Amino acid sequence: MTASPPPVAVRLQAVSVTYGARPALHEVSLTVAPGEFVALAGPNGSGKTTLLRAVLGFLDPTHGRVEILGQPVGTLSVRERARRVAWVPQAEQPRDDVPLLDYVLYGRYPHQGLLEGETPEELRLALSALEAVGLGELAGEGLLSISGGERQRATLARALVQSTPILLLDEPTAHLDIAHQLDILGRVRALARDRGVTVIAALHDLNLAARFADRIAVLSRGRLVADGPPAAVLSEELVARVWGISADLHREPRSGVPYLVPHHLLTDGSREGTSPTLGPVHVVGGGGAASPILRALVEEGFTVTAGALHLLDSDTETAEALGLASAIEGPFAPLGAEARERHRVLRRAARAIVVAPFAVGPSNLANLEDLVDSVGTTPTFLIGRPPITDRDFCGGRASEAYADLVRRGAVEVPDLANLWPRLRGALGAPAPSLRTASAGGPHG
Amino acid sequence: MSAPVPRRAPRARRPVRAVAWIVGAGAGLVVASVLLESVLLRPHPIPPVVSLRLLAHMLSGGALFSNPCAGAALGPAGCSGATFIVLYITLPEVLLALIVGAALGMSGGALQGVFRNPLADPFLLGISSGGTLGAAIVYVYRVGEAQADLYLPAFAFLGSVATGMLIFGISRGRSSSIETVLLSGVAVANLLSAILSLVLLYNPFGAEQLTFWLFGGLALASWTVDGIAFGAVLILGTLLALFGRELNLLQLGPEVAQSSGVDALRVRVTVILLASLTTAVAVAFTGIIGFVGLVSPHIVRRLAGSDYRIVLPGSAAVGALLLLGANDASVLAFPTSYLPLGIFTAFAGVPFFLILLQRQRRSAGMGSA
Repeated sequence: MTASPPPVAVRLQAVSVTYGARPALHEVSLTVAPGEFVALAGPNGSGKTTLLRAVLGFLDPTHGRVEILGQPVGTLSVRERARRVAWVPQAEQPRDDVPLLDYVLYGRYPHQGLLEGETPEELRLALSALEAVGLGELAGEGLLSISGGERQRATLARALVQSTPILLLDEPTAHLDIAHQLDILGRVRALARDRGVTVIAALHDLNLAARFADRIAVLSRGRLVADGPPAAVLSEELVARVWGISADLHREPRSGVPYLVPHHLLTDGSREGTSPTLGPVHVVGGGGAASPILRALVEEGFTVTAGALHLLDSDTETAEALGLASAIEGPFAPLGAEARERHRVLRRAARAIVVAPFAVGPSNLANLEDLVDSVGTTPTFLIGRPPITDRDFCGGRASEAYADLVRRGAVEVPDLANLWPRLRGALGAPAPSLRTASAGGPHG
Repeated sequence: MSAPVPRRAPRARRPVRAVAWIVGAGAGLVVASVLLESVLLRPHPIPPVVSLRLLAHMLSGGALFSNPCAGAALGPAGCSGATFIVLYITLPEVLLALIVGAALGMSGGALQGVFRNPLADPFLLGISSGGTLGAAIVYVYRVGEAQADLYLPAFAFLGSVATGMLIFGISRGRSSSIETVLLSGVAVANLLSAILSLVLLYNPFGAEQLTFWLFGGLALASWTVDGIAFGAVLILGTLLALFGRELNLLQLGPEVAQSSGVDALRVRVTVILLASLTTAVAVAFTGIIGFVGLVSPHIVRRLAGSDYRIVLPGSAAVGALLLLGANDASVLAFPTSYLPLGIFTAFAGVPFFLILLQRQRRSAGMGSA
């Protein structure tokens, strides 16, 4: 027994791992203190499992070093490692119908000498571990006769009786219902807090990670891109960048724990490493006329902004749902100075402007008239169907503004299908997608 | 916290009962086998009473009944024809059947565990092809003609071991995995078969004797052979039986085993090596006897569960009984002719194996439903 625990339980120093030509981890440095619960987060293939496998000593890092309890993993024997680190893998595929109690007792292997059987003490330990994961009743059942979730808990029990100072979990809640997710992670956290067990768990569910872990380490494409307490790490920007989704970040009012409400996939290239950004394209609309255009542009991979829209307008809802930056005015009011200014900023940032065939009334006539200041510098496309005369509710002023824009160089296209080739041409975008090519038709 | 000492899971009592059952059956079968073979012995059957007295004398270490053979020590010199046959032919054969059956059962159980494959058997790695080549060399080139009975097992054993070494030599390398070992075995076995064919092609006289050896039998049995075989199998089997826990963990996959403290690659290589040596001993003295090594572990698993601490010794016990039973059945069925035991086990083993497969498929189907 050492008097004081070593200050560092697990240390990765600039660890790189390469599978063949594919780098799986790139210079990842991570230090985990005894009793800390670190959640590893990141999309599929970001290197979470690889990192765990490196700590387990299953693979030799191409560069860098991994230490557990102050010693390089490579210098420890398999047995010594198993006394320090226990592992709950993603999914075990047992072949034999071993009784659960025996299965859990397998975890005692690194502590048993040659010819040594299980002691009554170990038997008690195994039973209490089974009880702890809620399987006390099933101790005599066979491994093949229980459900996947029960098996996952049994595996955790096996790792628990290994009585190691470090516990690695790879998606420990993947097959569990929500009650067992909370239960199991609660128990793991209690192990960390009460018994000083160091826990590193790969978790897909960011909200569970935020709730139970002391720290979240975020991996993206083999690199550590964020590391810190959940409140400091989780942000809408990070989630967009790493997972490519739009999400709202909230805080639980009582605990202050951050939680994310995911909305949808971002396909506009804000995710790291996806195709280069097209745009931004600014869409002017209102009354629902812009919604199909917004969706189509986002789907085609453009960065899209929208404006100036009114609250409660269906175009506004679409823009919000797509996570687009937009200029917004209060409901039914004429566009005010603030909204028009924001609209101007968005238009100036845009590389192209698309004007939806929206109904023009006094409250949004400014949307058309203001385009005058950018039409000379930014390619502007007017969707011509239905014709402006049919949707002019300003006694002809909308038609005038429209004609003025055309005079100043705005391009009128009849519909969405004819928009793509022009838009891509204006943005200098190569390689039209299949969808664009097939819709390119008559006007091309 | 003073939790009551938990009761053992039900599996704990089952093996004890199984062991008692196997020991009892074994003793009974040995006695029955000797009697059977004595009675059926042509042209001079030995009365069961004579055989029983002989056995009792032997087993009691000379305390019961009088020494049937003249002179102070047991020896062939002073024996009557009948007692000589019982003591120096029948009994050694019965014992060799037990020893070789145990070796094959143990080896099969260990290899099924290492490869996590219930269809693995002792001849899987192809080391028997080396043994066969060794035996062929003795027959074809008439090595040590006068003492062929000694040279034959020696050459067969050396052939098997050399093959094993060759396989491991080939598969040892940076990327050595268990599959590499297996595939190297297949490759080496093919090479040796080709060499064997070549040898026999130019020496057709050896082929006939070799065929007889190939089908496996107990013809070489003697107290010397039994002693050597028993010593070797006892040592190798004991070493193998020590790997029960490691094999249990390996069933969960090499990485889980590794994370639990089992040096997966080392354990697998060691167990394969030991199982190969055990098989080599069996091959050396009795040629190739199939199915015992394949079927024994299955029987044990059905009777006593899949804990390899029980499967390994259990397979040895069941293998011993199976081979002796097969020998008895073969004597009973063909008392006048000497049918090679390997042929008999093959005939008896195939339907047994098919039934086993059928049952397994049915239970697997129920499991997935």
